[in-house]
Amino acid sequence: MSFMQGIYLDNQSAMLPDPRVLDFAKRYLIEVPGNPSALHSVGLAAKSAVEEAREKVAELINAEDARNVIFTGSATEANNLAIRGTAMRNASKGMSLLASRIEHISVLNSMKDLQKNGFQLQLIPVDSKGIVDLQALERMISKQTIVTSVMYANGEIGTIEPIKEISHIVHEKGMLLHVDATVAAGRIPIDVQNDGIDLLTLSSNDICGPQGAGALYAGPDVKIQPVTVGGGQERGLRPGTENLFAIAGMGEAARLARLEMSDDSIRLKAIRDSLIREILKIDETHLTGHATNRLPHHASFRFDRIEGESILLTLDAMFDIQVSTGSACSSRTLEASHVLLALGLKHEQAHGSMVMTLGKSNHPDQISVVFDAVKKTVARLRALSPL
Amino acid sequence: MSDIVPDTELDCIGLYCPLPLSMAKENIANIDIGQVLKILADDPDAEKDIPGWAKRAGHQILMFERSGQVATFWIKRIR
Amino acid sequence: MAQIGYSKKVMDHFMNPRNVGVIDDADGYGKVGNPVCGDLMEIFIKVKGERINDIKFRTFGCGSAIAVSSMVTEMAKGKLLDEAMKITRKDVADELDGLPPQKMHCSNLGADALHAAIQDYWVKTGKIKLDEVKKEDDGEGDACPT
Repeated sequence: MSFMQGIYLDNQSAMLPDPRVLDFAKRYLIEVPGNPSALHSVGLAAKSAVEEAREKVAELINAEDARNVIFTGSATEANNLAIRGTAMRNASKGMSLLASRIEHISVLNSMKDLQKNGFQLQLIPVDSKGIVDLQALERMISKQTIVTSVMYANGEIGTIEPIKEISHIVHEKGMLLHVDATVAAGRIPIDVQNDGIDLLTLSSNDICGPQGAGALYAGPDVKIQPVTVGGGQERGLRPGTENLFAIAGMGEAARLARLEMSDDSIRLKAIRDSLIREILKIDETHLTGHATNRLPHHASFRFDRIEGESILLTLDAMFDIQVSTGSACSSRTLEASHVLLALGLKHEQAHGSMVMTLGKSNHPDQISVVFDAVKKTVARLRALSPL
Repeated sequence: MSDIVPDTELDCIGLYCPLPLSMAKENIANIDIGQVLKILADDPDAEKDIPGWAKRAGHQILMFERSGQVATFWIKRIR
Repeated sequence: MAQIGYSKKVMDHFMNPRNVGVIDDADGYGKVGNPVCGDLMEIFIKVKGERINDIKFRTFGCGSAIAVSSMVTEMAKGKLLDEAMKITRKDVADELDGLPPQKMHCSNLGADALHAAIQDYWVKTGKIKLDEVKKEDDGEGDACPT
């Protein structure tokens, strides 16, 4: 069954790896059976592939030294390593943790889990567009706040956070800033040195690399300890035989993203803005997230009086258009998204959300088709609605 | 220790929101009305969420016990 | 293309819901659920000779909620009121070839809304008193405020 016929607007959930990435990395599945720790020539070839990938990822984020990039199995794992690895290692300096209310659940639950070890967690409020309240941050942070975590951009509402300002506040207290850049990397430029970032999470599949790899950047003065323990891979910070194919692929994806991001974002922004302009013509429809400080490929809305899953199913079954609604965890538990509620929306407002994330397969010809489908879907569901 | 014999047990220790609540709902749907589900959880949010859900869903909390970080609920399915 | 493991029947009732609409001079009206929870159903019935002559629904909710509303109205149409009162949540879910476990409460709402409409008719026609009405709405929604 081919999934290539319809219009795929859920690139944030998953994307096909870039074919050039597959082309580059496949030799590590087919020809090079090397374990990067082995000392023979095949092992060395594998090791060299990992180090090359490390350099490429470091370049994408302007890390001062590629050795500060640690490969993990996913962004969730990188988040766990960042939060738990840093907190436990530096517990003598402080036992307080801060995170924005709209962080990914892997960040929030990592911090929650640390409460069992005696850490305290506080959540920084955001405004109605999802921007972190800087004054609240200033009030809440102290010299005991061992890790503050704010994402570069949020995947549900597209809002880009004022990382430089946040970093300034955190560093004034001499504390560490972790930034989850899963959805921002490869879309907008990230510069860990100039942005003042101590720890940064990356995901391979979110930059069109293969699934199964992520990375954590930890700055030169940041001390962390492993969460998964074992042998010496990744300087002992993330032991386990490396996923060579995924890591090599992630590196190549990072290189391509660095080169093409600028042109890509112009192209995607144009499609995004047209989609937003058209869809906002529908009655009782609102953009979620910030109108201008938003990811170039991200268009998210909420519709009054109808429900998100119905929107998703109708668009898929009737029009072969795939979108997302709220966050993954909310789809299993039926909770309204914690992100939308953090914006100050009421529960009933938070249920009608639709998130569209653009990718390589999307082009301007699709805009009118999508708009038409959304208009018809909304009309159909509103006719069914008692509200 | 309680002498209520549960018909099924759900161990959520180490699991965080939203898992304890969503698993509780699935598990209670799989037992018969009148049967008892025992839930163990150590997520502080679960201690709030589980009685709240049980009350709204009309199930009866037969007993609650807390030992260290672990909260244990015995819940009878009513409907 | 099923998204979250919905049966063919559920998708059919979701994409082609039967009995959508309102009845202005309804004999019985039932409303259950809560938009705060993400589910709200209303059912209108016309009764003739103790039978449900006509039935319509409107629903705010997910795929399950809409499918359940459609199915329960199909099941109830033409039935005697006493028979329709016996339609259980499980009956509705079974007719739909099952619902994912986390969506079972949607089937509750369908049966409950139907029963509420029937009881409303009985109250209006003096068969039962208002305080005899069995309230089944369990309000079981995750987002319901405590």
